[in-house]
Amino acid sequence: MSDNTSDKIGQFLQGEKEPSSSWVILVIGIAASLSFLVIYNVLYPGQDLPVISSVLPMFEGVFDSGIWFFILGVLIGAFAIIGTILTEATIE
Amino acid sequence: MDTILSVLAVFWVLIIVSYLLMEKGLGIFGQVTRGLTMFLLEKALGPGSDLVEGRKGSGSMVWIIQGVLWLFISSTLTFIGLWLAHDPVALHSLEAWGYHPVSSEFFYGGKFAALFGCVGMFIIGTGLHILPNLLEVNLASEKNAVLTSFAWTLSVIILVIGSQNNEIGPVNVILLGTGLNLVVTIAIIANQLLTKASSTVELATPGWLIIFGLIGNPIAVISVFLSGEYDSGLGQWLVYHLSGATFFFSSIAGISLYSASFGSGNPLWSRTVAGVVILGTIFTINPFGNSDPSMAIDMLGLTSAELILSHQDNVAGSFLMALAIIPIIALSSNILITLRGTDIFVENPDSAGIPEINFGAWMLLPLGVASLFIQTDTLSGTNELVGISNIVHLMVIWTILIPLSMGAAIQVLPSVSGRYPLSQNRARLAFWMISAGALFGLVLTMMSDIADVVLIEASIEGQNALSHTLRKAGSVIFYGTVLGSIFHSTNLFSGLYRGSKVSSTKSPSETTFTIDSFPLTSTTTIRKILATGAVLDTKIVPTFESNERGNPTSLHEEE
Repeated sequence: MSDNTSDKIGQFLQGEKEPSSSWVILVIGIAASLSFLVIYNVLYPGQDLPVISSVLPMFEGVFDSGIWFFILGVLIGAFAIIGTILTEATIE
Repeated sequence: MDTILSVLAVFWVLIIVSYLLMEKGLGIFGQVTRGLTMFLLEKALGPGSDLVEGRKGSGSMVWIIQGVLWLFISSTLTFIGLWLAHDPVALHSLEAWGYHPVSSEFFYGGKFAALFGCVGMFIIGTGLHILPNLLEVNLASEKNAVLTSFAWTLSVIILVIGSQNNEIGPVNVILLGTGLNLVVTIAIIANQLLTKASSTVELATPGWLIIFGLIGNPIAVISVFLSGEYDSGLGQWLVYHLSGATFFFSSIAGISLYSASFGSGNPLWSRTVAGVVILGTIFTINPFGNSDPSMAIDMLGLTSAELILSHQDNVAGSFLMALAIIPIIALSSNILITLRGTDIFVENPDSAGIPEINFGAWMLLPLGVASLFIQTDTLSGTNELVGISNIVHLMVIWTILIPLSMGAAIQVLPSVSGRYPLSQNRARLAFWMISAGALFGLVLTMMSDIADVVLIEASIEGQNALSHTLRKAGSVIFYGTVLGSIFHSTNLFSGLYRGSKVSSTKSPSETTFTIDSFPLTSTTTIRKILATGAVLDTKIVPTFESNERGNPTSLHEEE
């Protein structure tokens, strides 16, 4: 099969444009997840969330200041800069 | 003879001798010196010089790009310093790794990164493009310029590490960084002077400012050592201010005047006023900077001495600092009026770099006066304003030195890289975030510092809630500067590869006084066209406006 044909199949499968309403599905998904968390708290009051409640205490005393949110942004920015340099240099 | 005048006399003599040597040459030794220096710049590097291509403009571009990276690092260090000032235990978890973060150390590291990493690299990078252009020759050694940029970055890394821990074993880290920095500075000076020696064109004022900025820094250090005042508090204070006046103020004046003219398409408003900047920079004491000269003391590996002044020194120092307002006003007015010389600037407000230069020029005078008060207060021994010295110094860095040097660098970058920044909108957003974040963030912190100073004077103990809140708000607002530097970095890096191409890499308008073309948008007079620097060969390009009725922008096509 030629490269040209495979391109067309890719276009047929995925289309060329994103439907404007696709984000609604994502929002419904996030809202549903939050709703289930609330329902869990209603059904099992006082119970810790599985997995999450055992992971979070590991970070007690480590990320206990608001500065870590900002440092997280700085790290994302640093990776954005490094990523930009690498991708721009190697894109061709 | 008092200390200040004796040190300055040596400084002035050395500067004048250097000027005469540059103008008259070295006579019969000139040719030998040129050959030897060129050998040291390229051949002596051995295989190192073969690592780089030495393409025209590459030296300038590499310096500017690394300066952009230091912009991001310095803003981050300063932000953390501001945060730790109100929340000292915010990063206590890092103590598990043996690191004890302190606000003052972050400020110190941030200043090294900002002054030598960001501003220093912008100054040198921009100068490497401007000087050869003004002299109408190529840079003596592009290869050396590229290679030395990495050595300079290494020296700044060492300085930043030294700001956190100056003694690692027997090594004085900051002194080590200074040594490497000095070697690179000498190489850059040699490169620029060789470039000048190869030209017969009369150098315009911005070029002289750049040269005096480069040579003034080592001359200031030599002057203090020659006069034997390096171990006195006054000598240390003086070397700090002379270095700041030359390398930072004079160089920035040169590159920002050039870029204001080049970016706006207007000739410099006044050559005389530009000349006043040169004389004022050399023959006065620049008040910008911290009242504590510990940065210069650490860099020179000296032992800090107490600042003791005679009455004569106090009068001479205060008088010469007051005179420094003249070059500050001259520089500010020359830049601002050059930018507004004709309607070209108004027609092209999105030109990246111009807003930064505009902002920096506006901030020169208020912060010059504020710095003058702080330094006079220190010299007189009153020490009532010491509490706000650090924050005013940070304001000078973030609202004058960085905007002016960065604006000039962004203006020059398309000429050396051949491409414009990827997005003018993102450049404008980054400008607003950096300037507003720095201005409002640091003003709020200054308000907090003033509140603390007043409370200490009133002998009121305990933490003040208002001061704490202001400090917190100031640090959060300064985060905009960090974000702006990220936007600038990604925008400029992407622009190097995907930005729209510059139609002509060299246009006569870069020579400050003549322009290649004049965009005619409305009826105008020949006098006004000539006032822009047009000559008989300048093309008048009619730029027509569309008379079509405007419509809402279609965001997406309906199928």
